[in-house]
Amino acid sequence: MRSIRDLIGVALSGLTARVSRTLLIMLGPIIGVSAIVAAVGLTESAKGDLQQDLAELGTNLITAEAAGSFGTQNPTFPEDVRDRVLALSGVESATATQSITGVVTAPYDAAATYYTAFPTPVLTADSAFLEVMQIELRSGRWLNDFDYNTGARVAVIGLDVANEFEYRAGTNRTIQINGLDYGIVGVYEPVKLVTNFNTAVLIPPLTADNDFDVGLETNTIYVRADPTRVVEVEEALPVAINLGGSDEVNTSVPSDALEAAAAADSTLQIIVASMGILALVVGGVGIANVMSISVIQRSAEIGIRRALGHGRSVIAWQFLLEAVAVGFFGGLGGLAVGVLIVVYASHIAGWTYVLEPVLVVGGYEFPSEFLGVPTIYVLGMGAALFTSVVAGLYPSVKAARLEPLETLRLG
Amino acid sequence: MADASLLRLEEVSRIYGDEVKVHALDRVSMSIEAGEFVSIVGPSGSGKSTMLGLLGLLDLPTLGTMWVTGKSVKELGDTERSRLRGEVVGFIFQQFHLIPHLDARRNVETALLYRNLTPAERRRRAMAALDVVGLAPRADHRPVQMSGGEQQRVAIARAIVTEPKLLLADEPTGALDSTNAANVMQIFQDLHSPLRAIAIVTHDPSVAAAAQRRISMKDGRIVADEQLVDAAPTTFGGTLD
Repeated sequence: MRSIRDLIGVALSGLTARVSRTLLIMLGPIIGVSAIVAAVGLTESAKGDLQQDLAELGTNLITAEAAGSFGTQNPTFPEDVRDRVLALSGVESATATQSITGVVTAPYDAAATYYTAFPTPVLTADSAFLEVMQIELRSGRWLNDFDYNTGARVAVIGLDVANEFEYRAGTNRTIQINGLDYGIVGVYEPVKLVTNFNTAVLIPPLTADNDFDVGLETNTIYVRADPTRVVEVEEALPVAINLGGSDEVNTSVPSDALEAAAAADSTLQIIVASMGILALVVGGVGIANVMSISVIQRSAEIGIRRALGHGRSVIAWQFLLEAVAVGFFGGLGGLAVGVLIVVYASHIAGWTYVLEPVLVVGGYEFPSEFLGVPTIYVLGMGAALFTSVVAGLYPSVKAARLEPLETLRLG
Repeated sequence: MADASLLRLEEVSRIYGDEVKVHALDRVSMSIEAGEFVSIVGPSGSGKSTMLGLLGLLDLPTLGTMWVTGKSVKELGDTERSRLRGEVVGFIFQQFHLIPHLDARRNVETALLYRNLTPAERRRRAMAALDVVGLAPRADHRPVQMSGGEQQRVAIARAIVTEPKLLLADEPTGALDSTNAANVMQIFQDLHSPLRAIAIVTHDPSVAAAAQRRISMKDGRIVADEQLVDAAPTTFGGTLD
């Protein structure tokens, strides 16, 4: 053990004696490891918000849309669709809506032409909407029983609509739907799972039927299922809604797309991490190069050490350890720089930084931790150490092969 | 055949080159006993440098046999030969050959590496050796901060710190002025003891005159091996502790 400690001491004194050169050859591992860490960390951080959203939103929202057979205009569900769905085992809550077509929504008369070209969707909403979407109101109130029962001309609007129409909370404002004034009673928070709602105007079903003669039937229903039974519920929905009727129902799970987007993008990770590995290899060549020159410059020192009784293997280990020390400290520096890049770049981009990224290579997802350290750092250090060992092999063998008689110039 | 000699050469030849063979040493037989003070003299090309490489275990005979403390060196691997070299021989070079990035104490300590010593013990022995050559106060100086004479004294401290049975010096005064040369030769006289043989390779007659025995070489052979009666007998040796 003491011999190993002696070796480490000699290797480190060899490195600290030439600080600037040591720092220069450390740049290779520093750049390589930091590139790897930053590449994987940033691609993950770019999606960190998505993953956080998924965790908040849940993956148990199912959408079912009415779909007619070929040629059917405006297919709809039966009127009691919500009761049928709620009767299904595994369904926690449901809200049905009807999208109203052929109407123009505008903040005031003069804007009607513009909003004909860029329509704002109008939908009906029932009392379960906020619960199923798992959102809150930004301001105001939701549609109440009076609205539902009397067909009052009131609307709750999405945040994007509120911003576009410059609606201020607490002010009395109306919007015009087909020229009819609707009072805005509330604004709801963004619906991240179904982003269409963010630009929508929601009105009571009875009002819609009164004003636009669209009937009370709905055409889309959103269902929250028991998270462990999502697939089962999704399969049962069409039958439950139609009771074996001829009409069709299309179902989907909106979070699927989000999940796919949030999954680790292994292609990008591989591309950027490959650049890091390339930097490591180039850095390794640099280490080998500089150390080979160093062996020549220090041939007298090697001869002295041999004369003092250090064997060839000791000399080889000394130079190999110098290379490994460069890889080790360069690797540590690379980890630090990589983490700084991830944190700082995420800060600039407004992402939530991820310092324990998931690493996927060729479809294989690495375990998130190795000996309590996030895998990416273990891999980064491992790559730096491996490179330095390979880079140090040639110079150390060369050093060990030097003949002391030739380097000491006796007589 | 092994015997009690410190070093023993029997019919040793050292031949360089494959196509054109150069006999740097030609069937040399001799021995150095414990506690001897030997000089090896001869003109350039006489084979004394080759002799130095062999005596210092840095080289191996091409032909013949060589024993060091009773062991035949041809049968030793590099690791054992290196260990034997570290135990038996202390080198002193004409160009001092200190490691430039280490201070005096660390240069001396280099000889004590890989010997299973604690850093404290290594430092203690190094300081004691520097004290013997009178350089303990300059232990933290690097070679560039010292004169040639001082560097050679540090090199001597490095050579004696392992308590070798043989001090092997290669033109130890060759790079020094006469004052420093005399100083270094006095240190050799002081270090000579029954437990510590000294062999100096030199072409300087005054250095050779300090020895008790003079081996003269020419063309790869020993041409004379004589005891010098008028050499000052050394009665005390430097101690490390």
